Amino acid sequence: MTHPARRRRRRVRLPRGLLTLPPTFYVVALLLGPIVLIALYSFNLRSQYPGMPTAFSTSNWHDFLRGANNPFRDRFIYSMKVTLLVSVGTVLAAYPLAYYLAFVARKRRYTFLLLVLAPFFTSYLLRIIAWRIILGNNGVVSWVLVHLHIVQQGHTPSWLIYSTFSVALVLFYTWVPFVALPIFVVLENMDRRVLEAAQDLGANGFTAFWRVTFPLSVPGVMAGFVFVLIPTTGEFIAPLLVGGPNNYMFGNAIQSLFASTADWNYGSVLALWLVAVVVVLMIVFGRYLSADLQERDAT
Amino acid sequence: MTGAGRIARVLLHSYFFLLVLFLYLPLVVLVIFAFNNSAVPTLPLSGFTTHWFHQAFSNTDLTGSARRSIELAILDGLLATALGVLAAAGLAARRLFLRGVITTILLLPLVVPYIVLAVGLVILLHQLNITTSLTAVLAGHIVISLPYSVLVILPRLQTLDASINEAARDLGASEIWAFVLVTLPLLAPALVSSFLIAFTISFDEFAIASFLAPGGSPTFPVFVYTGARTPLLQPEVIAVGSIVVIASLVLVIGAELVRRWWERRIEGRKGDTAPAFAVGA
Repeated sequence: MTHPARRRRRRVRLPRGLLTLPPTFYVVALLLGPIVLIALYSFNLRSQYPGMPTAFSTSNWHDFLRGANNPFRDRFIYSMKVTLLVSVGTVLAAYPLAYYLAFVARKRRYTFLLLVLAPFFTSYLLRIIAWRIILGNNGVVSWVLVHLHIVQQGHTPSWLIYSTFSVALVLFYTWVPFVALPIFVVLENMDRRVLEAAQDLGANGFTAFWRVTFPLSVPGVMAGFVFVLIPTTGEFIAPLLVGGPNNYMFGNAIQSLFASTADWNYGSVLALWLVAVVVVLMIVFGRYLSADLQERDAT
Repeated sequence: MTGAGRIARVLLHSYFFLLVLFLYLPLVVLVIFAFNNSAVPTLPLSGFTTHWFHQAFSNTDLTGSARRSIELAILDGLLATALGVLAAAGLAARRLFLRGVITTILLLPLVVPYIVLAVGLVILLHQLNITTSLTAVLAGHIVISLPYSVLVILPRLQTLDASINEAARDLGASEIWAFVLVTLPLLAPALVSSFLIAFTISFDEFAIASFLAPGGSPTFPVFVYTGARTPLLQPEVIAVGSIVVIASLVLVIGAELVRRWWERRIEGRKGDTAPAFAVGA
């Protein structure tokens, strides 16, 4: 500390935290700013057409929230049902995978984890296109069903593609490996002595799992659940490619109001509603995510 | 081990095996149909051909969109990583005013649906009287890649031994030079991971590009989306798609193996390490 050269440098030194300013401003300008604009549009304070009169109005909001049989609200409810179904299904399928990696795979666990996660990093769009081939009319599954004499030629089940089933299956497929990750991390870091203690005290394998391992892994399960829940809430690509118009999700409604129909004011109501839903989900579930990043200040 | 435990173990082994099959099934199907001598992707297969690859590579709309997306992805990788280094270096400071707010803002793009970001950018450009362009697509891709860069770089920065940096400073290096000459090379594995993750995000991104890429210059995902719904183009899309899928698998697995070797060399650490994208592991 008494080194003279060092003291001189310290006097002109700017706080290192200032380095966060450019990236933070970048996100504020390109993400938060536009969300504010979306809010202005949703209350009719702006219009996409130059010269159109604008004035504060809650009519679009009123229509969306209270209007009788509002198609967009119905779309939202359908969307949330699919999202919940997919989230629960994904967590149920990912848990045994995470358990296998943490407790059974032993030394090869990181190699297996890489094997399972690698497809997740290939193009999402291309994997959905592959599912179109698999589920499509005269596609792989329908061919197999015909040749196993489960269905007759030309009578492939209608639920196979352009259905809620196909949309949910593709989303499930997409998220399973990713959801296994937080569950794996929790199981991996679990104190093995606790499990040994449970068995020493006479618990059998299943009791030890149900009374000790599972309760301790709940934070990972919740994190995995949110990992699917949040992105799926705004999903619109899978319904476009493997769903029919009846299976379009809330994201598709937003997309169409900004693309083909072009009613930005109404579209903004839906977009802001989606943001609000995600914010609520984050408030409810956020504590299970990236807690370690927020706690660094304590050290 | 008890009998029940052994049965559970066998069940878990089989479950893992079936799940891996399920996860790789679409990728295998894509590759098989890329070589199928038929204009429609249906079974039974009608013979082997490389015709679709030739046709795809002579389709300048397709190759042009691929080149466009590769350029975008490289720029996104570089710029998101640069901003990520700034953010991580700032967040690693011992004291930081409004740390919670800054962290929340930087991680926000992880939870805001891409469709909202896309329409938000459409409105922003309209408000500023700017026409949509590939630059706008790039700007959007940097927003969504930045949090991943921060999440990859920051933990690595925090585990670096502060005393190495101090030593460089004691030997007369200024803070900036100590960072450039000592910290950055030690961060290199994380920087490469960050670049690759951002590259992948940009190369695959559809929502923002579908709104902001000008009609005459679609990105690869936008072209693929149109192509998949156009019977005449579908075989070419499947052919090129199979190349892209195989290339990304090789890249992801290769990069991970190199990173493990590299970090082990830097740290002299033994044993297996968690994958870089297993953020928080």
